[in-house]
Amino acid sequence: MASVSIPIEKPGTWGKVAEWLTTVDHKRIGIMYLASSFFFFLLSGIFALVIRLQLAAPGLKIVDQNVYNELFTMHGTGMIFLFVIPFLVGLGNYIVPLQLGARDMAFPRINALSFWMLLFAGLVMEGGFLIGGTASNAAWTAYVPLSTKQFSPQVGMDIWLFGIVLLGISSTLGGVNFLVTIYTMRAPGMTLWRIPFFTWSIIVTAAMILLATPVLTAALIMLISDRNFNTQFFTTANPRLWQNMFWFYSHPAVYIMILPAMGVLSEVIPVFSRKPLFGWKAMVISTILIGVLGFSTWVHHMFVTGVDPMVERFFMFTTMVIAVPTGVKMFSWIATMWKGSVSLKTPLLMCLGFLSTFVIGGISGVIQGAIPIDMQVHNTYWVVAHFHYVLFGGSVFGIFAGLYYWLPKITGRMLNDKLGKVQFVIMWIGFNTTFFPMHILGLEGMPRRIATYAADRGWDIPNLIATIGAFMIAASVLVFMINYVVSIIARKGEVAGDDPWEGNTLEWATSSPPPVYNFAHIPVVTSNRPVYDKRVAAQVKPEG
Amino acid sequence: MLVPPVSQDAQVINNLYAILYVLSAIVFLLVEGLLIYSVVKFRRRSAGDAPEQIHDHRGFEIAWTVLPMILVAAIFLLALNSMGQLEASGTLNDPLNHVHGINDQVAIKRINEAKKVDMVIQVTARQWVWQFKYPDGNFTVNQDLVVPAGKTIRLDMETADVIHAWWVPALGGMIYVNPGEISSFWFSAPAGAYTGQCNAFCGLAHAQMLANVKVLSQTDYDAWYAQQTASSSAPTGAGDAARGETFFMNGPCVSCHTIDGTKAQGKVAPRPLTHFATYEKIAQVIPNTPENLTKWLHNPQEVKPGTQMPNLALKPQDIADLVAFLESLK
Repeated sequence: MASVSIPIEKPGTWGKVAEWLTTVDHKRIGIMYLASSFFFFLLSGIFALVIRLQLAAPGLKIVDQNVYNELFTMHGTGMIFLFVIPFLVGLGNYIVPLQLGARDMAFPRINALSFWMLLFAGLVMEGGFLIGGTASNAAWTAYVPLSTKQFSPQVGMDIWLFGIVLLGISSTLGGVNFLVTIYTMRAPGMTLWRIPFFTWSIIVTAAMILLATPVLTAALIMLISDRNFNTQFFTTANPRLWQNMFWFYSHPAVYIMILPAMGVLSEVIPVFSRKPLFGWKAMVISTILIGVLGFSTWVHHMFVTGVDPMVERFFMFTTMVIAVPTGVKMFSWIATMWKGSVSLKTPLLMCLGFLSTFVIGGISGVIQGAIPIDMQVHNTYWVVAHFHYVLFGGSVFGIFAGLYYWLPKITGRMLNDKLGKVQFVIMWIGFNTTFFPMHILGLEGMPRRIATYAADRGWDIPNLIATIGAFMIAASVLVFMINYVVSIIARKGEVAGDDPWEGNTLEWATSSPPPVYNFAHIPVVTSNRPVYDKRVAAQVKPEG
Repeated sequence: MLVPPVSQDAQVINNLYAILYVLSAIVFLLVEGLLIYSVVKFRRRSAGDAPEQIHDHRGFEIAWTVLPMILVAAIFLLALNSMGQLEASGTLNDPLNHVHGINDQVAIKRINEAKKVDMVIQVTARQWVWQFKYPDGNFTVNQDLVVPAGKTIRLDMETADVIHAWWVPALGGMIYVNPGEISSFWFSAPAGAYTGQCNAFCGLAHAQMLANVKVLSQTDYDAWYAQQTASSSAPTGAGDAARGETFFMNGPCVSCHTIDGTKAQGKVAPRPLTHFATYEKIAQVIPNTPENLTKWLHNPQEVKPGTQMPNLALKPQDIADLVAFLESLK
């Protein structure tokens, strides 16, 4: 659909800055989400490179032990709270109203508030490096009593906790906003079963955010209070109280980070296979089931901490069962490609990156869900390998699939497909080179979160390989940035047009980038593939 | 790929891992195979491809829901079975129920009655050292636990500060040591040396919190034990710098301290000890004299509350030796 262009007076440089600072447009807010979380991705990625350098050989001292502890803490919190979650939320912010055929989010000002709180919170969390010289260094789990004033006296710890409280509030507001938007602002004809799949994933994600985040926020406020106002919430309690509250949020957070990425796959794979998503209803139901079951597995993080054994058996069962709806998804995506016409452009390659690596993360998840195995791999590099296979193999490949798929819509220009393929190959090989050897390290007894290790432990070679892989990943991200600069900033990329991929959903029914009001006329929807329907109708017309 | 198991529990875990590894490999190959096949076989051959619009297939959908369910149920049962074997190996009525409150008399009684053990060692975990107190000898060793081969040993572990986790991979199993609680761990192993380390992040020098288990034959153990008790009851003689050096280089000191040109390369302590004898003050608080150094090594926390150096419960003779050694570092 061609958009109507309204001539407006062009603002100057400061005018443009003011426009961005004061905007309530979901698209601009979405872009700011993407840009700021990409910044935190690069920052946390640099931390990871320093970590890998330190571990490249036994006994290295690239950084002090204390700095190392800060780096892995801030790598984890940065990647989780400031990159993966807000990046996917940012994609949702841009795409969801378009997929719904809406003109904006339900609460545009709250949407802006969520973003600015996120950015502020991120800067506060990283600010520990500048204020008082020590950022949080008690790992992202911040287990009590290590995180209490007695053992972590630095101000950096307080402002880190405060930053995550802000993030929690930002995230909760965002969750409400998504749910209300999707409930009330769908285009005419868009019944529940016709909601596009990415948006379905955002529904479940938002519901999970809404139910889980306040528990973490409460725990953080209690800990801040213990540290600064001499309350005794955690210091006198069962040592597992913090762990329970922390994991009650932080396990669902895994699904908060993976479901939207799965939503991206469920958009990209059908479009690039020219087939509908296989088993639509089963896919929606399995997404909801993952969301529900995601709340019943958190104790598997505490199997060796002395929880009642019968309780542990229950959580072992729920942990394993979650593999079933996940398996349904894996098979449905493969079935979507089956007998299709699979176009091997970069967005699909990134999806293949997700599928081929996530399956390893899924399988290792079931294995370590078995309590006796967990008694041997808990807190080792095996676990580091497992969750990177889920969160990098899964979420990050999903994120890049989404970027290659939707950046043409967002910017109006195509990214270079050849460079995209180069990035994919380097990233896929680099990823497996980094993280596969970590399984072996874990089984050989290497704990996570150690700043160094002695030469006689026999961990040298896998560590060296992992470090080489990490730099390959960095190179692949560099390729992406070059691609972005060349194709989009330097405008060398092809003009995208409204619908470069033969898309299915409503974002492809407006111009690229869409006008401020998204749609001149709110479209009417009669299936879950409105743009496909229109394309088919248009093809039939000239003949008929 | 796991560390070769030496205890019965570790063997049980290894066996379960071997089965699950095979099952995983089958699932992995199946999924990756389907993935590769579908991409290669159904890749786009011409721009005009218009594949049939297949929306779903009841039969396949039921199959890939039910078969994984059966597989998951099987893995769950296998895991339960292994837990039963861990139970049968005698480590209490449940392999995981090793943790109880320090004053929980009922639990303490239950643990004492659960399994006959040959020796109970009181373990204190503290930032950043494991300390082992022997039952009758009334002496404590740091970092290196020495036990007789083939005997059933129980470790009763407490923490003096934050959460730590006991883990020596070859002995199998891992257990947190929580504030206000006692965590018990049973094992019996053949002669050998087994390395492990704290496996719950515990702050600055977490990486150096090693736990080396040395299992000796009964004769060797008896000799070692006699030596320990002898030196602890002997009157403190003059310090011997050579012995002090041996103790320094092989004890917990090196995890935090650096002496250039030696294997001591710890990074926790703020200042290297390379020229310690020339320093004016110890820990920047008290004048550097042999008497003060003795006092400091006896209990650093008393001299400088809050210092990162823990009270290592050193024996008087070791302190005298260390003083002689450190004061020789010009």
